[in-house]
Amino acid sequence: MISVVAYGLTVGAILYIISIGLSLTFGTMRIVNFAHALIYTMGAYVLFTMLRVTGGNFVLAAIVGVAAAVPLAWAIERFVIRRLYGQSIDYAIIGTYAVLLIGVDATKWIWGATPLPLSDPIGKYVNVLGVDLPVYRLVVIALAVLIFAGLELFFRRTVVGKIVVAGLEDKDAVRSLGIRVDSYFSLVFILGSCLAALGGILYAPITTIHPYMGTHVLLLSFAVVLVGGLGSMRGTLVASFALGMVMAVTGRVWGPAAEAMVFAVMAVVLVLKPIEV
Amino acid sequence: MGVALRGAGPILETRGATARFGAFTAVDGASYRLEEGETAGIIGPNGAGKSTFFNLITGLVLPAAGSIHLAGADVTRLPPHRRVKSGLVRTFQLVSVFDALPVLDNLTLAVIHADPSLASGPGFLLGSSRRGGLEEAGVAALDRVGLSAKANWLTSELSYGDKRKLEIGIALALRPRVLLLDEPFAGLSDHEIAEVLRLVKAIQGSLSMVIIEHKISHLLDMVSRLSVMHEGKIIAEGKPATVLEDPTVRRVYWGGGQGRGLVEARGTRKAEA
Ligand SMILES: Nc1ncnc2c1ncn2[C@@H]1O[C@H](COP(=O)(O)OP(=O)(O)O)[C@@H](O)[C@H]1O
Ligand SMILES: [Mg+2]
Repeated sequence: MISVVAYGLTVGAILYIISIGLSLTFGTMRIVNFAHALIYTMGAYVLFTMLRVTGGNFVLAAIVGVAAAVPLAWAIERFVIRRLYGQSIDYAIIGTYAVLLIGVDATKWIWGATPLPLSDPIGKYVNVLGVDLPVYRLVVIALAVLIFAGLELFFRRTVVGKIVVAGLEDKDAVRSLGIRVDSYFSLVFILGSCLAALGGILYAPITTIHPYMGTHVLLLSFAVVLVGGLGSMRGTLVASFALGMVMAVTGRVWGPAAEAMVFAVMAVVLVLKPIEV
Repeated sequence: MGVALRGAGPILETRGATARFGAFTAVDGASYRLEEGETAGIIGPNGAGKSTFFNLITGLVLPAAGSIHLAGADVTRLPPHRRVKSGLVRTFQLVSVFDALPVLDNLTLAVIHADPSLASGPGFLLGSSRRGGLEEAGVAALDRVGLSAKANWLTSELSYGDKRKLEIGIALALRPRVLLLDEPFAGLSDHEIAEVLRLVKAIQGSLSMVIIEHKISHLLDMVSRLSVMHEGKIIAEGKPATVLEDPTVRRVYWGGGQGRGLVEARGTRKAEA
């Protein structure tokens, strides 16, 4: 029971860290960004390489992995997404999907297609109500909560945050205040991408690193964004943990159905609460 | 042409401005001039292209043809936020404030632009939007439209009339040289209309203004010049009284089913009969 809850919370935490960027990108730029999955995957691979370079310093390797997302996200935003502004949403899907495919092949070319295992960077366990839980997973859950709190502060207190919140509501109205809203959206895009990389980094030691890891997670992440509400920061948090728990509980009953259940829940939510775009 | 002296030319001018959405022409070769300090009105039936004309002027819609000039400078290709920096400010037909933010923050975002000295220092953007100077300037701007008591309300809690006042407060905080108001009285109660009228009249003359309105009665005693748009074209222009007697204008209004409002506003129902 405890381990199911802990697993659900861990998956929820990872889903949150990945999905928040996806949701914000959709909310601000109205773009469905498949390249998000690439950044997630790259984060894990850069972590892998940096662990070798630094002789196993996980924190340092993770920081480099997150930082590596900045130029990559910048390039994707500048050279692909910016050209798709105002076009049909289909173009954005095709364009960013192309980036993902190219990226996945580049990953295979650089690191090979064989899955790369990583060991638990902490390797300690803590006993909670008679069950041994990996400390690492608790750290991941705590990080997700910290990130949520940090983003709340950022969007509720800072000038930039408020510009973005206003832009989520009405881009043209923000422009009409003399504010170049697109630069702030680019900033949010890069921030969201860094979080995607962090998601890949944090999840890597729990599963394995492989070129399609991002593509796989992206579908779950879409489910989170749709259930949580496009561009809703709190909705994304709630949906992440709820769907994480759905996965954990279903997985305990019958493993193969775990992910299918996520999409079943998504379908039900969409029927009850259709999205307006 | 040489150097245009300040005040010599129109503060705002469009030359053959045209907006197309696919095959549909929403604004069709509109040429328009606004003199410095003038208050002018634009009327026209629903769908005539009035709001799109404002979108062309402010840059939210790019023209398929023609040009836009602000104080003598060609701004046709300038992005919207840069036009605001040149003093071109507008409000929207459907009042446009930020529901998700507290009332005061709507103003702070505007004040940032109006007073660059508040925006100095590298940490500025990551700092709190409630710092001293910024907050004070916001409250002052809110005071101007009589909303400072509701500074900490969530904007979504305001009535439509208060939102309209807030929107005008935001516009004024941007220190406009040219202010474009798109149906500022629409959807307001009589009492609210009176309040907004008072706000608008108080600033008249200190800046140049174009007001789109559906109910002409509010405009008549305020504007020195009235333009009529119909199917994307400016079909008549001149002193309000003259324009309203124009046979083409009358036909358009009767044809569009808008005649009653026009006639009642003029109080010349007898003449129509
Ligand atoms: N973004 C747009 N895309 C397509 N058609 C538009 C757009 N904006 C306005 N229109 C069309 O242009 C015409 C003029 O609209 P508008 O300028 O809002 O008229 P008005 O403000 O005079 O009522 C309408 O037929 C409207 O449907
Ligand atoms: Mg209109």
